[in-house]
Amino acid sequence: MIGLTHYLVISAALFSLGILGVLTRKNAVNVLMGIELILNSANINLVAFSKFASADLQGQIFAIFIIVIAAAEVAVALAIVLSMYKLVKSVNLDEADTLKG
Amino acid sequence: MDTTVAQIVFYVFAAITVISAALVVLSRSLIYSAFSLLFTFFGVAGLYVFLGADFLAATQMVIYVGGILVLLLFGVMLTHKLYNLDLKTQTFQFVPGLLAAAAVFVTLLLVIGRTRWAGGQPRALNPTTAQIGELFMKDYILPFEVASVFLLVALIGAAMIVRKKSR
Amino acid sequence: MDPQLYQDLRAFMPELVITATFLLVVLIDISLGHLRKSLSFLAAGIGLIAALTAVIAQFGQPARTLFYGMIAVDDMGVFFRGFVIVASFLILLAAPASRELARAHLGEFYALLLGVTLGMMLLASSVDMIMLFLALEMVSLSSYIMVGYLSTDRLSNEASLKYILFGAVSTGAMLYGITLLFGMTGSTKMVLMRDALSRGAGGGENLLAMLVATALLLAGFGFKVAAVPFHFWCPDVYTGAPTPVTAFLSVAPKAAGFAALIRFFFTGMSDTSAGAGPWSAFTAVNWTLLVLLISVVTMIFGNVAALRQNNMKRLLAYSSISHAGYIMMGAVVLNAEGIQAVLVYLITYLFMNLGAFIIVIEMYNRTGSFDVRDYRGLYRRSPFLTIAMTVFLLSLMGIPPLAGFFGKLYVFAAAVDRGLAWYAAVGALNSVIAVYYYARVIKEMVIEEAAQDSGALPVSWANAALVWAMLVPTALLMLVWDSVQRLTLSSTTFFTGS
Repeated sequence: MIGLTHYLVISAALFSLGILGVLTRKNAVNVLMGIELILNSANINLVAFSKFASADLQGQIFAIFIIVIAAAEVAVALAIVLSMYKLVKSVNLDEADTLKG
Repeated sequence: MDTTVAQIVFYVFAAITVISAALVVLSRSLIYSAFSLLFTFFGVAGLYVFLGADFLAATQMVIYVGGILVLLLFGVMLTHKLYNLDLKTQTFQFVPGLLAAAAVFVTLLLVIGRTRWAGGQPRALNPTTAQIGELFMKDYILPFEVASVFLLVALIGAAMIVRKKSR
Repeated sequence: MDPQLYQDLRAFMPELVITATFLLVVLIDISLGHLRKSLSFLAAGIGLIAALTAVIAQFGQPARTLFYGMIAVDDMGVFFRGFVIVASFLILLAAPASRELARAHLGEFYALLLGVTLGMMLLASSVDMIMLFLALEMVSLSSYIMVGYLSTDRLSNEASLKYILFGAVSTGAMLYGITLLFGMTGSTKMVLMRDALSRGAGGGENLLAMLVATALLLAGFGFKVAAVPFHFWCPDVYTGAPTPVTAFLSVAPKAAGFAALIRFFFTGMSDTSAGAGPWSAFTAVNWTLLVLLISVVTMIFGNVAALRQNNMKRLLAYSSISHAGYIMMGAVVLNAEGIQAVLVYLITYLFMNLGAFIIVIEMYNRTGSFDVRDYRGLYRRSPFLTIAMTVFLLSLMGIPPLAGFFGKLYVFAAAVDRGLAWYAAVGALNSVIAVYYYARVIKEMVIEEAAQDSGALPVSWANAALVWAMLVPTALLMLVWDSVQRLTLSSTTFFTGS
């Protein structure tokens, strides 16, 4: 019997993996992928709760907005990453160090 | 939904999602990460179908796979020297990050295990598109319209950052 | 169309004006030729002023929600929306006069400024988590772009990269926390969340979940207002961004973030059971204690880190981190007096902080440096800038009778009245520490000798006018204190559900 808990565990795993990616990856695009995992995990939560914990589709609507926001964020982030590549010829985060601290 | 076949398919999708997410984060090659992400998105879309969110599953595939993933792939391609087939990635200290992520996971499992979530009958599986459409035009009309301005701002900003400065 | 919607649209007028101006500026920017720079500037300016008048007209109206419970119209909302419009207007004036942005095309900048203003106005009025998150992301995204505006400048680019990655992670984590709350309460509307929590959805076995959710949410809000330990992006981003953008970030999104924090914690997480009223902290998770801890750490860290800084932008970055700590003191106190203290502090902070930044902009325009050691002997080179900067720095220190003193007075008094005298003492002690690094700048300007070859420093009339505009309120706010007092007191009423 597939219940709420199954979905929540999957999303917890995705969230933790996303955090792992964000903390350990040096390449900016990789960090972006980690961020996408985090956002997807939140979405799974929302849709699962929408089915099991609320009477209406609020969670799904919220999830749709998150998808929209994520798309815009990735677009801007990649624009910035590309801009950095044009300047520095690398997108490793440890080369982004002209600002100390 | 309770048939064994359905359960098996669910576990398959769950495995696809989690295992490919792990590959995204742990893979040495950037391209492998990107393609694993594709499978993660696909797995999540499958989970949405199991949760009765048909419109959302379609949206997920179209926007995430068709849009965001393509963007990420372009990002990968454009930020490496063209014939450098390395595309290997390095990591910061892996172990502290792993410990932190593991701690987060354990905490979340505890939370999931203990919490008494808001109750209610699980909703029956119905097509949701019409209802979502109505909600966007009534209850959620403000965020809907604001989101369009938001997208315009993102569009202008992203285009402005990358364009050639011709002036 | 639903007749209620028409009425809501009328009440939504300020935001509609901003949106229309935004579209107008975009259109002007892509069409007209030589005129577009000045026309877009004019359009943006007029739009902001029109929106401000529309906002002020809403003062005193009964608190209610619009658009099916998405945003609230109330006096506190009017205050914050007016505040962010004023801040944006001042930055609009400061941007063209800065050397950093001189070579950049400013049409999109004005459009982005309007976009972020719209986001901040919505952020300060959201009473639904969906709307709150959307507004938060709108503000953040526009800020990321503004920070990276000089995309050919390495510092600006690096700053925006760090900002967006850090910001996206913080808001993603915050989102996860919001989903946990949604799961426990079954709704995304703050009022319904509070009702569910009061009925016990957050107690007992849900305690761990509440703690995790609160922590994640504080991470998101903490990121927005640059509180420790979510402040890591702040010094680098402030230093790398074009200085008008830094000035803007240090005031406006911070204020909007505080508005959202106040609304969320007071409306969404207060205890209404047994007629406890909107001021009782939700007892299961003592979020006030968490905010208090964050506030103390923020004040101390911000002040201590500023001691070693030579770069004016970095120094002011750490200084603004510490000020966020003081502002949080008002939020911790959990009553009308505390909220009034926050509002008062924000007003004084707007003028003194922007004033200091405008002088930094002008100094960079003339000398090309942000290093405080290049401010040596400024007294002889430009007495006007020196005296103005001294006033702003003294106000930031909290010296009476300047405006900054009143801000600190209110937050400390609110803390003491609530029985948290030790908390006020920590704040006062921090102010003493802060004196050192503010005074150091004054010392460089007034006492040290300038380099041999430096001559008199002319000041552009635009920036001089802006400095005067900030100087007068900073120095003379006490004269109109009565009106300020009344304004902020009545602005403490906000929508709490009905």
